[in-house]
Amino acid sequence: MGNVIAIAQKELKGYFASPIAYVVIGFFALMFGYFYYALLVFFQQQSMQAGGFGGPEALDVNQQLIRPVFLNASVIVLFVLPMVTMRTYAEEKRSGTIELLLTAPLTDVQIILGKFFGAMALYAAMLAVTVVHVAVLFLFGNPEWRPVVTGYLGLLLMGGCFVATGLLISSLTKNQIVAGMVTFAVFLMLWVINWVASFQGPTAQAVLNYLSVTEHLDDFTRGILDTKHLVYYLSFITFGLYLTVRAVDTERWKG
Amino acid sequence: MIEVQHLTKQYGAFTAVEDVSFTVERGEILGFLGPNGAGKTTTMRMVTGYMPPSRGRAIVAGYDIFEQPIEAKKRIGYLPETPPLYPDMTVRDYLTFVAKIRGVPRAERRSRVDTMMARTHVADMAGRHCGKLSKGYRQRVGLAQALLHDPDVLVLDEPTAGLDPKQIIETRQLIRELAGNHSVILSTHILPEVSQTCQRVVIINHGHVVAVDTPANLTARLRGSETIYVLVDGGGADVASALTAVPGVTSVAVTGTDAGALACEVASHTGHDVRRDLAAAIVGAGWGLLEMRPMRMSLEDIFLHLTTEDSAEQPQIPEEHAVHG
Ligand SMILES: Nc1ncnc2c1ncn2[C@@H]1O[C@H](COP(=O)(O)OP(=O)(O)OP(=O)(O)O)[C@@H](O)[C@H]1O
Ligand SMILES: [Mg+2]
Repeated sequence: MGNVIAIAQKELKGYFASPIAYVVIGFFALMFGYFYYALLVFFQQQSMQAGGFGGPEALDVNQQLIRPVFLNASVIVLFVLPMVTMRTYAEEKRSGTIELLLTAPLTDVQIILGKFFGAMALYAAMLAVTVVHVAVLFLFGNPEWRPVVTGYLGLLLMGGCFVATGLLISSLTKNQIVAGMVTFAVFLMLWVINWVASFQGPTAQAVLNYLSVTEHLDDFTRGILDTKHLVYYLSFITFGLYLTVRAVDTERWKG
Repeated sequence: MIEVQHLTKQYGAFTAVEDVSFTVERGEILGFLGPNGAGKTTTMRMVTGYMPPSRGRAIVAGYDIFEQPIEAKKRIGYLPETPPLYPDMTVRDYLTFVAKIRGVPRAERRSRVDTMMARTHVADMAGRHCGKLSKGYRQRVGLAQALLHDPDVLVLDEPTAGLDPKQIIETRQLIRELAGNHSVILSTHILPEVSQTCQRVVIINHGHVVAVDTPANLTARLRGSETIYVLVDGGGADVASALTAVPGVTSVAVTGTDAGALACEVASHTGHDVRRDLAAAIVGAGWGLLEMRPMRMSLEDIFLHLTTEDSAEQPQIPEEHAVHG
């Protein structure tokens, strides 16, 4: 466990020592802020129209504002996380520091978990920036807190899937640009895979919907904590990390 | 301490290292000598558990590096060919991180890091980012990194590469000091380094071990032919041909003059002591025999001899001086 923490700390420090952390957090905050503002303005307008007697309170802040904000955030995550994960392995391989990790008394699982939690910590820091926006809503309105909490949990879990996938792809190449591009393409696939669902038969539709990483986020943003989704996300993450362990081992045999 | 048995590494169809075996005792320094691409780094990577061998095994401090990697790795300090530094970390942060993952107890980390920075002379760079170090400092931090956890076994891939002459001497000194209770494998292309620091040498070429011995024994064993140095006075140009005529002599090279006397290197077949006949020939011709002594081959010669493609039985005498008989 100590080793996992040591690696995670090293990863996190690495993000903040290079411009990556600032670029990623800055970009995320900017995009999030923009969507937030746009949705807020839209929400205001709508509540004015719907208002009449009840005033702005007539519309549900959670449903009409917070939920779309979370769903939009998931799209931004899709763009930023490849930048976080692309260097995790690729850079260590290119610079030769992988030789330090693989000859230290560490197991592959410790190294991979360390990198996973390091990336997750940066991602959590990214999400933490948005807490300010959401807190403002609590100051001026009275939304329910439950969908907000489950929404964040959902975003974290969904990001976990992306990070696990990104780690796997990064472990397969020395080139971080390649890793970044492929990761982005795969994320995009995982996001849009159910767009064709409506043209398929019922079985295929169900399968495609089940596979889509973002599809499972929806219930979280509604405040529903369904084990079905938890199981999906957690098994996705576990499977991704397991494949990474296998990939690192295979790379080691290749030399 | 280190037992390497029949290690073989194949990259696809290419065999980089084949059937390499050697042992290193406690307190011994083993030199790993070979030209570029010989397979030194590949062998070291297998010994340190960076990659598994295609065949064979390596046992470090009693643990098979492949079967019990964690136990074995705890006892190894490894300086790879490229020092594995994180450019964004300061030297101190980096060494502290390595101490953590190498299992140095929390309470000792700081003092171990300080001690090693002092021993490898990087203390003045403690706050500098690793990415901004010069090549030599990078190498030193790499060495400090390998020593942090006081390992039983040290594997150093070209430890003096990129150092200045003063540092080379200090590093060799440091390695010799460490050898007291550690076992060391170091690779190098620099021959004097081997004779100065190592008790034993493994010479490797094209992935095969060509010789394992002490530097002194190698020199003796490799005298496939013996060379005798003679200093002859008063003979002039006739000396070379007269000496060539002595039975058993294969070639005579005139290497220079010393105060009017002629210095020659006389090569002969092994086991055929020509000294008596040489002396008789010189004295018989009425010349003065000022000096006669056997010459030992330098390790440099051995190295070239062992690793050139047509490693013939006899060492080659430089053509321009040779008079063949
Ligand atoms: N990852 C790899 N894939 C394929 N071939 C490799 C790989 N690494 C090394 N080789 C080949 O294996 C051979 C031995 O390489 P190695 O790096 O062990 O040599 P070396 O003795 O360390 O040389 P140098 O003195 O230049 O460091 C070389 O021919 C090299 O090209
Ligand atoms: Mg090498």
